[in-house]
Amino acid sequence: MPINIYQLIADITAVSTEVVTHDVTTLQGFSERQLKAIAQQAAYVAKGIAAGEISEETRGFFLTGLEDMALNYAKTLHGLNSIVIEKVWNGVVSVIWKAISSATGLVFPTHFSG
Amino acid sequence: MNMVFRNWRILLALLALLLAAGCATQLAPAYDKAIVDGLRSSNREAMILFATLSAESESKSYPARAATYNQLIGTLDALEMQSRARPMPKGPGHEAANKLLEKRGLPVVGDDEAPSATALNRMSATLSKMRDTDRKQGLSPTEVQAFKGQMSIYMDQAMTYEAFLQR
Repeated sequence: MPINIYQLIADITAVSTEVVTHDVTTLQGFSERQLKAIAQQAAYVAKGIAAGEISEETRGFFLTGLEDMALNYAKTLHGLNSIVIEKVWNGVVSVIWKAISSATGLVFPTHFSG
Repeated sequence: MNMVFRNWRILLALLALLLAAGCATQLAPAYDKAIVDGLRSSNREAMILFATLSAESESKSYPARAATYNQLIGTLDALEMQSRARPMPKGPGHEAANKLLEKRGLPVVGDDEAPSATALNRMSATLSKMRDTDRKQGLSPTEVQAFKGQMSIYMDQAMTYEAFLQR
């Protein structure tokens, strides 16, 4: 039985959409929390320095911390995106293996089936 | 029709890459429930410490908090080691994925360390700085709040990433 290309495309689209729709919510939530918290932290540190409530001892630490938190936020977002790509990739390949398996009657080893 | 053809070319490229790799592609380290559980309990203990410090703390009362600081810092350091001990994927599938992404002008995936390991390292550094300042001169309520804010941001980064690894 030949592969129905249009059905295969529909199946691939479905599996990709399922992963992306689910994970985008998590990524959006994380981004919103982080950006709000980093902005609040910046405002709080600035206010504390201006009011003399943050000592010389900790001032530099908090200022460097803001820069580093922003960097690691970007790295975390990048890491989360990698996981989404991995899930989509493996989902797509799994659909392809199933289609080839149905068309050829070949049974692939489990490590080939994603 | 061009769209269909392009999709097919992408699929064939993916298929060839997966055949070359011979296994499911992994672009991030494995999920570790022990790290997630450790993060949750450390977060709880840290928030209790911050709650006890919400009123101004003087350095003379530091000895009562010393053990809590040290226990938390030790736990976070151990979790960082656990996080770094996991191998970061660097197989043929990972390299092929990066080449494909690079070719399409997309950012490559995977770094030398998990972002949660960095976040754990910074949480430990934050608490160490807080402990040392507390011991030396005490902490103002504003400083306590700023330390708490910094700790919470890194904790969110670590917890979100580690939980997301459960795929």
